[in-house]
Formats: sequence, structure tokens, C-alpha cells
Amino acid sequence: MLLLLSCRSGRRWGRAGARQERRLPQERRLGPAGSQGRSSQGKTSAASPAVNQGQEGKILYRQQLPALSRQPRPNHAFDHPFGEPGGCGARSRERPLPAPARPLPFAPAAVPALPVPNHVGSGMAGEVQCLSYAGCNFLRQRLVLATLSGRPLKIRKIRAKEEDPGLRDFEASFIRLIDKVTNGSRIEINQTGTTLYYQPGLLYGGSLEHDCSPSRGIGYYLESLLCLAPFMKHPLKIVLRGVTNDQVDPSVDVLKATALPLLKKFGIDGENLEIKINRRGMPPKGGGEILFACPVRKILQPVQFTDPGKIKRIRGTAFSVRVSPQMANRMVESARGILNKFLPDIYICTDHMKGVSSGKSPGFGMCLTAETINGTILSAELASNPQGQGAAVLPEELGQNCAKLLLEEIYRGGCVDSTNQSLALLLMTLGQRDVSKVLLGPLSPYTIEFLRHLRSFFQIMFKIETKTPEEEHMGGEKVLMTCVGIGFSNLSKTIR
Amino acid sequence: MEEKEKKKHRAKHSGPKAEKKRKRYLNDLGIGDEEDARKRNPKAFTVQSAVRMARTFHRTQDLKTKKHHIPVVDRTPLEPPPVVVVVVGPPKVGKSTVIKCLIKNFTRQKLVEIRGPVTIVSGKKRRLTIIECGCDINTMIDLAKVADLVLMLIDASFGFEMETFEFLNICQVHGFPKIMGVLTHLDTFKNNKQLKKTKKKLKHRFWTEVYPGAKLFYLSGMVHGEYQKQEIHNLGRFISVMKFRPLTWQTSHPYVLADRMEELTNPEDVRINPKCDRKISLYGYLRGAHLKNKSQIHMPGVGDFTVSDVSFLPDPCALPEQQKKRSLNEKEKLVYAPLSGVGGIVYDKDAVYIDLGGSHAHEKEEEEVRPNHELVQSLISTHSAIDVKMASSKVSLFMDSRPLGSEDVGQEFVMPKEERQLDLKTGRVRRKAVFEEEEKENDDAVSDEEDDQEEEEEAAMSEDGSDGDDENDTEEESERELLREEMTIRRAKRMKTEVPKEEAVNELPAFADSDDDLEMSSEEEGKTAPEGSEIEDEEEEEEEEDEQRTCKDESSDSEFEAAKKRAKSKQYDVNSGHTETKSQTSDHSLKRKAVLTTDSGNCTAEEASESEVESSSLDEGDGEGGSHDELEAEESNSDGFQHSQAKTAHNVRQTKLKAVEAEDDDVENLLREKEEYEEKIDLSADTIGALKWKEDLTQKAAEAFLRQQRSTPNLRKLVYGTVVEDEDHESEDADDELGGLFRVSRPDKESKQKANALDCSKFLIEKPQDWDLEEVMSSIRDCFVTGKWEDDKDAAKLLEEDEELYGDFEDLETGVVHKGKGAAEGDESGSEEEEEDEKMSKPEPEEEEKKKERMDKKRKLKEMFDAEYDEGDTTYFDDLKEEMHKQAQLNRAEFEDQDDETRVQYEGFRPGMYVRIEIENVPCEFVLNFDPHYPIILGGLGNSEGNVGYVQLRLKKHRWYKKILKTRDPLILSLGWRRFQTIPMFYIEDHNGRHRLLKYTPQHMHCGAAFWGPITPQGTGFLAVQSVSGTTPDFRIAATGVVLDLDKSITIVKKLKLTGFPFKIYKNTCFIKGMFNSQLEVAKFEGAAIRTVSGIRGQIKKALRTPVGAFRATFEDKLLMSDIVFVRTWYPVSIPTFYNPVTSLLKPAGEKDTWSGMKTTGQLRYERGIKLKQNKDSLYKPIVREKRHFNKLHIPKALQKALPFKNKPKNLEKKGKAPKDQWRPAVIREPHEKKISALLSALSTVNNYKISKAKVKHREQLKEYLKVKQKEDEQKFKRQKEAKKKVYRILGQREKKRQKSSLKGSSKREKSM
Repeated sequence: MLLLLSCRSGRRWGRAGARQERRLPQERRLGPAGSQGRSSQGKTSAASPAVNQGQEGKILYRQQLPALSRQPRPNHAFDHPFGEPGGCGARSRERPLPAPARPLPFAPAAVPALPVPNHVGSGMAGEVQCLSYAGCNFLRQRLVLATLSGRPLKIRKIRAKEEDPGLRDFEASFIRLIDKVTNGSRIEINQTGTTLYYQPGLLYGGSLEHDCSPSRGIGYYLESLLCLAPFMKHPLKIVLRGVTNDQVDPSVDVLKATALPLLKKFGIDGENLEIKINRRGMPPKGGGEILFACPVRKILQPVQFTDPGKIKRIRGTAFSVRVSPQMANRMVESARGILNKFLPDIYICTDHMKGVSSGKSPGFGMCLTAETINGTILSAELASNPQGQGAAVLPEELGQNCAKLLLEEIYRGGCVDSTNQSLALLLMTLGQRDVSKVLLGPLSPYTIEFLRHLRSFFQIMFKIETKTPEEEHMGGEKVLMTCVGIGFSNLSKTIR
Repeated sequence: MEEKEKKKHRAKHSGPKAEKKRKRYLNDLGIGDEEDARKRNPKAFTVQSAVRMARTFHRTQDLKTKKHHIPVVDRTPLEPPPVVVVVVGPPKVGKSTVIKCLIKNFTRQKLVEIRGPVTIVSGKKRRLTIIECGCDINTMIDLAKVADLVLMLIDASFGFEMETFEFLNICQVHGFPKIMGVLTHLDTFKNNKQLKKTKKKLKHRFWTEVYPGAKLFYLSGMVHGEYQKQEIHNLGRFISVMKFRPLTWQTSHPYVLADRMEELTNPEDVRINPKCDRKISLYGYLRGAHLKNKSQIHMPGVGDFTVSDVSFLPDPCALPEQQKKRSLNEKEKLVYAPLSGVGGIVYDKDAVYIDLGGSHAHEKEEEEVRPNHELVQSLISTHSAIDVKMASSKVSLFMDSRPLGSEDVGQEFVMPKEERQLDLKTGRVRRKAVFEEEEKENDDAVSDEEDDQEEEEEAAMSEDGSDGDDENDTEEESERELLREEMTIRRAKRMKTEVPKEEAVNELPAFADSDDDLEMSSEEEGKTAPEGSEIEDEEEEEEEEDEQRTCKDESSDSEFEAAKKRAKSKQYDVNSGHTETKSQTSDHSLKRKAVLTTDSGNCTAEEASESEVESSSLDEGDGEGGSHDELEAEESNSDGFQHSQAKTAHNVRQTKLKAVEAEDDDVENLLREKEEYEEKIDLSADTIGALKWKEDLTQKAAEAFLRQQRSTPNLRKLVYGTVVEDEDHESEDADDELGGLFRVSRPDKESKQKANALDCSKFLIEKPQDWDLEEVMSSIRDCFVTGKWEDDKDAAKLLEEDEELYGDFEDLETGVVHKGKGAAEGDESGSEEEEEDEKMSKPEPEEEEKKKERMDKKRKLKEMFDAEYDEGDTTYFDDLKEEMHKQAQLNRAEFEDQDDETRVQYEGFRPGMYVRIEIENVPCEFVLNFDPHYPIILGGLGNSEGNVGYVQLRLKKHRWYKKILKTRDPLILSLGWRRFQTIPMFYIEDHNGRHRLLKYTPQHMHCGAAFWGPITPQGTGFLAVQSVSGTTPDFRIAATGVVLDLDKSITIVKKLKLTGFPFKIYKNTCFIKGMFNSQLEVAKFEGAAIRTVSGIRGQIKKALRTPVGAFRATFEDKLLMSDIVFVRTWYPVSIPTFYNPVTSLLKPAGEKDTWSGMKTTGQLRYERGIKLKQNKDSLYKPIVREKRHFNKLHIPKALQKALPFKNKPKNLEKKGKAPKDQWRPAVIREPHEKKISALLSALSTVNNYKISKAKVKHREQLKEYLKVKQKEDEQKFKRQKEAKKKVYRILGQREKKRQKSSLKGSSKREKSM
């Protein structure tokens, strides 16, 4: 019944263990999954969520175990960890289960002779209430918040009533990514993939690689990584492969242009904060590659970010891969035509990638950012339809539409653009116990849900005030968000 | 006669008179009153040496920067919680006496027995919570974590005791609070000198422990069992002016030192299972940081819990209102100590408690008390026996005890211990006054107000048009707020006379739902939005003049609502047999629950649908449908369970709430017109009873539609309003089930679709505006730098202003004078006419405008000036400080204007509030074995501090601890709030970062330790003890240290050497066996470095087929068969996942300091007399070394021949005896020759004698001569010196003359100066 996806409890040691584990998924793929998985893990189903619905026996997707642990083998040339192959199994050893006092072999009378018969576990730490949700929407923010708050999470009814129930491949990929960046987290997914139990570990970081599913853009993964990266044990340096620009998710270009400056506002700064696009990949096949590196911080600064200022310049990138390089120029021309009515300082660079760095599918697109004198950056982007889907898009049209989108974004305004609202709110929440303020445009549905989640994970409520701009021609209504940080500190970071 | 010569007057030359005279004289001359030395003699104070100057400068700078601390944001609340004063010391040192004396000093009251913390008002701005700390190390650890000030009592007649040092060390680990030493028993010293000496000795020892100059107080002696009044007064002064520095742990975690405990468990549950988990509420001042509801807390000695509810109560021991007088009056000198039975009437949301009699009564009338005492005893016992029907028992108790109370006013019953067990609440006798539902709606608070001339907050009961509602209305109950004035005993006595009156006073609890307020505030926020969006239909009720800030929220309407709701829930109450109080509590909890499940609960169903509609931007028809659906869902739920019942009740209440929202909201008045048309619509909703709420569904839907039309929804409600609850779906699903087998599959609702919708953070635009249109474009025109700027930022405007300020200047080259003012004036005159017109209409603002302008100008000028002259002084440190200060101000100001109910939602409960914290699932032992002498601390846990994982520490064995600590021996740690037993592993970090296991802690060095336990932030200090039970003569603190790292896995290794033996040796290659057991093992270690004991290095090459586990290896030299080969490996060690919280508070009273956890192996062996079986090989044996013989070096002959001579072995054989022919002959003298030689020898003897004689003589002569010579020399030297002197004098005089002549001019000038 239950398929334990990954019970990665703790970094494993050395080569042999990893080898052994790598073999596991195959077994699981072949055999009757439930029993196999359980026996190999030595885990009881009691700890896992019960599954009450969904088709029996249908494995919807095959989840492989996360690749090798990245715990570096102790690199003294010939010091061999002898106990590996048979010795203490890494799994059973370090399960971060809040088990009560384990009777130890050498001290049988060890358990205190206390007159506490009926609550042995009441005094235990770690009995944090499990949050439960239904539906796969907002999966990312739930997992991210669970990781940051350290609260276990259960998500039920993931597409339970659909033709094709369970987690999709991009979600599975995301879960794998979460597993990669953490240490000691426990992820259990039932056989149908409709129920997910997640017990977070500590954020670990380090140098990683991840192949993102091409059905969603890299932005889908990167957005969550942006939330988690500052709180790792080791600075995160991750190579993500997949679709860099698509029509659904915020593209890597936009995140690079908007999210990084936002992180800097909160004190997450330094030369190794970067997003580098090595290769561009367009849907459906992808083939892009980016590098994301982020330093680690112990605490965040509170921000007072209430004055967006006036837009002083507009920058942008028009990119094209595996199509004529002229496309980019055509987009730029048309976009400038619209934006020039407002501002003369416009510079949109064209980025035509060739050869190996152009990915596997043709496409083009554009992202525009408007920067104000106070450092606020608003953005808009558009990409062409993926190959073989929908009608062909004229680059002129795309450029115009993108420019209009930017104007729309400017109309909404605020100090943070609509894509990064949730990131800003999260970082405010995770600040010190000080008042942080930020002025936003109208809250996006995603942000609204994020606020609700913030409340259930961190018991934090934002003061939300609607502000109408005093001046007449300053766009739409704004929302002033105020909160007191929860005094979060990075528990993963080592002090020396 | 002869004239005697009179004595002449002799003027005084010295003394004050002379001095005065001289001064006068000098003054007359005009040269008196010389300026200070610096002016008079400037040379003496100039820079002598640049280097020295630089050094002094550096030194001062160093000293200055040394004083800097990293600036932190000041988060202390405006009204801080009472200062926690912990009185600590060994037994019989006089702790309780000091506390009593201090209380008496501050409040003029005498407490007989002190249990638990006592809170007193010690000054206009300071309150103290005094608590005694026993010698139990658990108590010491707990209290050191919450203490602000420690009064460390030391028995001077005895000297320091171990407890003192232990406590000091505990303090050092957990952040060092202020520590003040108090020496007692000084009267035992008869000898004054001895006393002085002891004082000095103790003082210096104390200083080395705390810090040099730490305050040590002397209490000289007792008078009538109390310390001397003056000394205590001084001590009190010291305490009340003391300043505290913030401690990191305390400021980053909320905590409560509970001063009261109530049990709220359902008595029925207790009856069924006396050991069931209890529900308790704890009271106390919140300290440290903000506390959020539903957060995790740890109770040291009990365990981890989740707060099920928090509410704040009015301060029972409030600071006086701000007054200008100098000292407190008697009324304001409050004391609050519910655990000790002080505090008078206690108003609570559950019940009202009256404490009978002050503690004075106890002493005087102890004999009288006896009979009454027994009576009460019996009553209590009956009470406990029939606790199933609590209501009746309570009432009877009250009625019985009232005459009792009136008979002997001012008597007090101190509970003996056995009684404490009976009374589960707090361990003191008090009577519960239960207010029945005699309260009708027509009650009026005005009459009550007259009763109490103090400013009590009384919310009047209100009745409005809804009285035709239900039959339930009659069942209203209400409680009173806690009155801070009633806290003193005097008050309590007086109150008792007023008891009957008090009964009549009913009031709603202070926690009355906050939602309406939130709504109001949000409305205020969204002023621009049309107010009509709310369903507002009621006129304001009577305005209450005396409504206080603190109970603003407690408006009469909410009261009414709550009452009605409660009544409703009661209707469905399963446990109808419960007592009043219990049902009340259950009501409250229900209500809370309802509030929480509906997500702040101020959204009705249709609002939820509204939010959904808005977020998904469906058309209105859908929205309506949705709302219908929602309501139906609610309806279907409503008949089943109490919980859902509460929810519906809540919904009803919501509709009502809106009706009365207008309370004390000024904005509302402005918007009344807008509301009025809505009122008509909603009138029906109001007049129709609560049960008929569904009748106006269509109307509501219409409203929802209307609201949706409005451009700006109430955002707060949209975000935090109801979201679709999962539980609802569950129950729905259950309803859909057919025959328990099949499920009706219905088309997914909108919400369900949403639940599985696309997860995307982009904010897609549904219908983008047409950006080609001119007006659309102009709507963002000013967002660009090219657009119009605000006045204060517009460059042109700013320039103009500057012109006004600095316009005047003269061009020196051309001589043209520019007049900036003129232009400005021209401008002004131009605009003046217009202004004039405006002035007619509103002259006031105009005036203000100008004033403001002037102020601005001034400010700008000042800024300019500051920038010009002060710039150099601001350092980075100053900037940082300024920033922190700004942040602190913002923190204070941000929520200042909001009332507490709203604030609490945003920031959490802030420190300084008196809070009531409900906790569920508390072990029954906590309640049964409750002992108020032991402190109850609720320590808030930060995020994920409730989780467990591996913790790495830096640890050092305490230098006073006698044993060393062993790896894998259980150890009790005090870390964060917790005390727990765990099994640490000690390790040390090698140079290459490897964590190598240690068997024991090193002696005088830090080492690492890792254990499995609660995750606590890095940098937190900890201490370790081996046992918390009993007392040992030795120092108990075993180790101290700090948390370094947290992780979910750990990498500690221990060294493992595998040995093998060669069985076949070639040149450098060797076959080795005995190291491994299989080929596979060898394969794993291919390439590993191996070594022989003698130091020959090598490498593992490849496994051999036979024997199993043998391998080929190469070495740098040829091995011997006797060599032993080994490989060094590292074996990862696992840490036992053992975490056992010290549950000392659960032990029975009197045994609380006997908690013992897991025992060490050594202890167990000792107890059971098991001897460790020694491994024979591990025993040390005397080493016998054989003398080794080495054979001679043998060089083959052929080789010898080939060698050069140098290296050839030299055959240096011993010489044999000399042959006879080489012997030398013996000489035999002739007689003549003999004679000659004899003579010669005689002559030489004589000669020798002569020579020696001459030598002696010569030496004497020489001595003589030297003596003479020396004398002569001295004479000569003297002469020469004389001569030299003469010459030099002459020379010097000559030089002087020359100099004088050359400096004549300058010297003159100097004289004139």
C-alpha cells in the first residue's frame, strides 16, 4: 500500500551505502512496491498517512530515490570507513523520529522509575502538530514553509478525482529537489501518489545539480530555492537543467532581474549571490542550464520599503534560440515603440544563443524590467508558444504585448513586482522581531494563499492597509503590508 | 616712668590672613587672580612628543571602543513586566525572612507564608516579582533562566557554600543576570575585627566570581525575627533603582513565570479516569518576547506543550496611573501572590474567587480558626465527593460559607499540605462564587458603577432589538473582569461586604471576541472603500462614557452576542449535567475553537464565497451559487455535532456582529448615510431569530453580489477570512456515502478545482487595459521620472525653495547683486491674492501651512549646518545605533494606536501583559503533585526548537568537578529552557576536520560533544550535571559549554586498527594474511596505506585467492616474518537517540528533588556488585626484554681486497710483549758517582731554599711599594681634580658670559612678559 519514497535520514557514509541505495529504486520499480519498500526500509506504515482512496495498485509515477548523498567522503587518502558494508545501517541509525527513551542494551533498568505511567511521550520534544492540506495546489509554498518552520506536513487528495491522479512529474522533481537540499527529511508518498507526507529536515545546501522536469520552467523550482537558499548550512550552489523560459512560470531572466535585488534588500548579499544562465532551453524539450548560488545568512534585516520611487529606466532582454536572430531585434523595436512614450531611457539587449547553449527547442521571448530611483524593479515577460503548440506568434506582437504587460505591472505598482510578492513577505516574516513594511501592488491569488499559509505555519498575521496613491497619475491602488518578524534565525548554520 | 618700649607690630608673613592680604595687594596691582595654570604656563602643556601624543590618542580610542557593544534594537515594552528577583542561598540563611521584610518594606503588609512568586509594586515605574529559590538544583537552574536580579544570600558566619557557587555558574551559562550579594548572620560575630576581616574576605571572593565591584549588602542583625528596617529599606532602594541589561536568551524567547494555576479538566473525565491528562490554565506576566497563540512552549520539569489558548487579563498588580506626586500612596502599594493566598478577589473568565482574610489574621486567630477550619475541611471533602454534579456542590458551598464569612471577617485559613491535595486548584482555601443566570437583560451597569468608586471597567449589559430571539436568552452568564484595585487584602475585606452586590454585577470576559474590533480597524484602514460593503444595520447602543481603553472591545453588543451564542451551544451541550463553571469553560473553549476553525472567524460563509469569487474572478452568478453551496454545507453540518453547532452559532453571531459594528467608531458616523440604505436590507437579518438565519439567504447572496461589485474588498478579510475548511469536505463526503460502500461522485466544486489547480506565482491579468488609449496611459504617467513629482521631491520646486533660502548673493566679479528673496516675494505676491481668497474660507489651515513651511525652512537650515560641522563625528557605530533606534521607534509606534485585541493578532501577546495560558494534555501528576514552592515556568520555543536532532556542542569539564566524564554515560543537560537527560559522545576535531571520538573528556581543554536531543539555536549556553537528585558535598556542575551546530546526522569516527601478518616475503612484496575475512573486504581496501610496527610503509595491492582474506602488498623495504602489519581505519559511531526530559515537577510533593533518570553503567555495576570481566589480553604484564646479541660484521675477503685502504678493516691486533733484545738496560752507579749525585742534590736543595726566601722577601717589598704608590696616586688625582675644576669653572664662566651677551635681547623681552 505504502511506498516509501525516500527515507533519507541523515547523510550517508561513503560509497558502498550509496551504491546499495541506488539499486533500490529498480527493485521497487519491478516488485510489488509496497511490501518491497517497507521491508527494505524496516518501516511500519503506522507512521505514514493512511490512504483511503485512489486506485489500488496503480503506480502512477516512478519515483527514484534521490541520487547520491553529497556528504563528502572523508578524504584522507587511505582511511577507510570500515564499518560501511554490513555495519550500522545509515537508515535505521538516524531516523529523526521522536521516539521515546530507547532502552539501551547495557542499562536495562535505565528507563527512569517514574510515576508517570500515562504520558511517557508528553514531555518529548518533536511532537509538533502536523499540518494537513488537501489538493496539490500551492504544493511548493507548503513544502517550503514546512521546511522553514520545521513542521511536518501532510497533503491529501492530490488530484484524487482526476483521470490521472497523483503527483505529476514536475512535482515529483520538485520534491526530489527539496530532498536534495535538506538533510534528514522524510518524504512518504502513497502508492497512488495522492497523499504526501513530509517531515522536514534541516537545510543543507552545498554544490548540487538537479534535472528539472521540462513540463515546468526552471522558475518553478528556482522560486522555492530563492526562499530556502539563505538558510542553508553550506552556501547553495546548484545547477538546474530544464526549461529556462516558458509561458507559465516566471523565467530565470525575470528572477535574476527582480528577485536577486530583492534578496539584497534583506541583507542577503555578497559576490556569490548570482543566477547565471549557461544555456537557454525552451519548452517542450528544454535543455537549458542555469547556475544559482546564494550565500548563507543567520538573520535577516527588517525592511521599510514603502516608497517605490519613480521609474528611471527600462531594461530588458529579448532572446531567441534556434530561430532567426532577427526575431530579437523585431521584438525590441516594437516594445520600444510603446515604451518610448513614457521614458527615453530604454535599453533592451538582444540575446541570441547558438549551438550547445541554445537548448533543444526553438523559441523566442522577451523580458522587461523597469527600475525606479529607489531600486524597485518591476518586470514583465512573454515567451513564444512552444514548438508544435498553438499558433505561431509574431515577434512584433509579442514585443508589444510584453511592453503592455510591463505597463500593466507599473500600473499595479508597489515596491515589489507581482511575481515576488510572496518572497518579500516571506523574508519579512523571517526577519527579526522588528516591524517590516512593504508596499505592494494588488495581491495576487498566489500571495493571498501564501499569506494564509504563513499564518498557519508561523502564526503571523500581516496588517494589510489599502493605499490609494495621493497623486492622480500614479497607477492603481496599493497595499501596505506590515508585520513583525518572528525572530527567525538560521538553525542550520554552523558557528565556529 | 621709664617708657617701656612697646612691642612692635609684626606683620604676618604666613597664614590665612597674610595670604588674604597678599591677594588683596596683588589685586590692587592688577596682577592678582592669575588664570589657570594652562594659560599661565602654556609651554608646560604643549605637545612634547608626537609619538607620545599618538599613543595617548590611540589609547583613549581603544578605551572608547572597548566600551561599545553591538547595538541591538531596543525591544523592551513600554510597560515592562515586573522584575524577577530571585532570592537564592543555602538553607537556613534567611531567604524567606528577607522576602518577607522586603514585602513589608514595600507594601506595609506582612505575609506569613510565602509560596510561589509574589508580585509587588515597588515604585511608580517598577514592580517586582520576588521568588525564593530552594537548593534543589532543578529549581536553581530554572530560576537562573528567568531571573533579572539575583539576591544571593550568604551566611557570613559560615562563609560560602557550594550552592552559591553552583548558582553562580548556572547563571554564567544561561546569561548573567544582575547579582547582588547579601551577607546575613553578621550578628554572630562578637569580635568587631573578626567581622571586618570576614566581610572583606567574602567581598573579595564574591568579586572574583561576579565582577570586581559587585554590590555586596550587609544585613547586620535581626530585631524581633526581622532584619533591621533601615537596612531592608536600603536594600529595597538598591533593588528599585537597579538597571538591567538585556540577556539574549530572555529577549528572544517569550516566557511566563506562572503565579497561578487552575485546573480546567472536565470533572467527569477525572472521575472516569483519575489519571487522565489534564487541561490547565496558568497565569502570569509575559516576559521576554512576543508570545503567539498556538505556539510551542516548554515547561521545565514537565515537558513540551502546545498552547491551546492565550488571553490577556487586566493587570492584577498594575502600576499606578501616571501621577505627578512623588511617592506611591497606600492604595497603590499592591501585592499579588495568588499561590500564597494573597490577592483578594480574583476575577477570571472561568469564575470569581474570593480570598477570605489577609494573612495577618492567621497569626492572631489561629486558635479560633481551628473549628472553622474543620468545618471547611469537611465541606471541601464533600465537595470533592460529589464533584460530578459540581454546580450544586458549588452553590451549596457558597451558601454555606457565606454566613461563615460574615461571622468572622478577616479570618484566614492557611492550607495544610493534605488540604492542598484536596483542593486541586491552587493549594489554598478560597471560595468560589458562582454567578447564576439571575442576570437578566435589563441589568444595568450604571448602578454598579456607583458601587466602586475606582475606575473599574464595567461593560454595561445591553439589550437590543434581538430580545425576541430565543428562549436561550435567559441563560446568559457573564463574568467580571479582574479588578486590579481589589488585590490588596484590605480591599478583599471590603469586597466581602460587597459580595452580594458583586453577585449582581455581571460582565463579559475580557477576551470577548476580538473579531469585531479587527473588523473595525480594518474598516478604518479601508476608509476609502465604501463602508457599505459591510452589512451594517444597527444603531449604536448606548455610548458608555466610562469605557476604558483596555475594555474598549468589550462592547455591549459583543457581550450580547457571546451570551447568545453560548446559550445556543448550551442547548446542544451533551454534558448538560455539568456545573455552571464547567460549562462556561467548555463554552469558552468551544468558542475559541470556532474562532480558530473559521480562520479568525469574522467571515461568514458568503464572505468566503466572496473571497473565492474575487480571487478566481468568476462571474457573479457563480459567486451566488457558491455562497449558497457554502451555506448549505454549513446547514447540513449544523445538526450533528457540538462543534459544528458552535460554528453555526458563530455564523449567526457574525451576522449580528456586523449589525453592531458601529460601536465607538467615529468613521462610521461619517459614513452613516451610506449605511442607511443597507440597514433596510439587513433589518430582517437582525430581527429574525438566530435559528432562522437561513431565511434571508437570497438576500445575503444579493449582498454578496453587491459587495463584489465594489472595487476594493476588505483585504484583511479576503486574506484571513474563511477559507474552505477541509473538515467540511470530509463531513460532506461522509454524507454523500451510499450504504457505506459507494460514494456519490459529484462534479467538483470550484474550491476543489482550486485545490488541485495550477501552482503558479504569476499574477495573470484577466482583462488588460488598453494601453493605446490616452487616458489609460496617463494613469501611470507620473510613475516615471518624466512625470510630475511630488512637491517635496520635485527638483524644480526644491531649487526654488533653496533660492528662497540662499538666494541672496553678490557676484563679486560683476558686482551684480542677486536678490533671491525678491523673486520669491514676487511669487508670493502673485499667489497671495489667491491665498487671500482661500484664507477667507479657511484661514486656520493657511496659518498652519505657513508655520509648517517656516519650520521646514528652519529644519533644512539646521540640517545644512549639521552636515557642515558635525559630519566628521558620526562614525559607523553611531550610524548603526541611530538605525537601531529608528527601528525601535518604529516598532513602538506601528501598533500603538490599535487596541490590544487587534495588536495581539498582529504582534502576538507582548511582554508585560498579564496572560492566561491554557494548556491541554498535561500529565495528571503535575496537578496532583502540585507544589507552589517550585517555580512553574512556561518558556516559549522558537521555530523548530520543538524538533529533535543531533546537536553538537563545545564542552569543557568544569574545573571544580572531581571526575572526568565518559562517553556514552548519560548526562543531564540544561539547555535552552529544558533540562533533559541524554547520552553525549565526546570528540575532538583533528587537523583535517575529522571528528575523532574520545573516551573521556580531556582535563583542562575544550572538546566537542554530540548528542541527540532538542534543537536549540547555536550559541546557546548549556551546563551538564550528572544527577539532579539529592545533594552531594561536591560541586555538582560537571561541564559547561555552548551549542555549535545542529544537524540531522553526525560524523564522529573512532580509530580501528586491523592487523595482519606476513606469510610470504619476496623482496619488497609480501603476502599478508589475517587482516580481512574475505576477498570483498580486501577489494574495498585496495590501495590503502599499511605500515609495519617498525615503520615500513606500504600499500594493499590485490586480494589473493587463498587463504581467504589474504592479499598482496608492497612495501618500501623488505619485511621480516616477525613484522606485524596494520591498517588504520575510521569507524563511524552512532549516537544513541536517547532524550529524556527531567520531569521533576511530576514527582510527588517533597520528592521533587529526587528525580533520577538513566543510570550509568558504572553505577549499575556498583549497585549490583557486578565486576567487570577483564580481557586477559588487555591486562598489563611486566615486559621482559631479552638481551640481544649481535653477530660480528663479516666482510668477505674478496670485498676487503677491493675496498680502498680507508675503508678496509684495519687489523689492529694487540701488540705482544717486547722481545728481550728490545728491552732497555738497567743503570747501576759507581760509588763515586753516587757521592756526586748526593752532593748535587744537597746543593740544589739549598739553592731552592734560597730562591724561595728571596721570593717571599720580594713580595713583601712589592706590597710596601704598592701602598706608597697608591697614596701618591690619590694625592695626584686630588690635585688634578682641583686643577680641572678650576679650569672648567673658568671655562664655564666664560661660556656663560658669551651666552649672556648673545641672548641679551631675548632675555629682556621675556622679562617684560
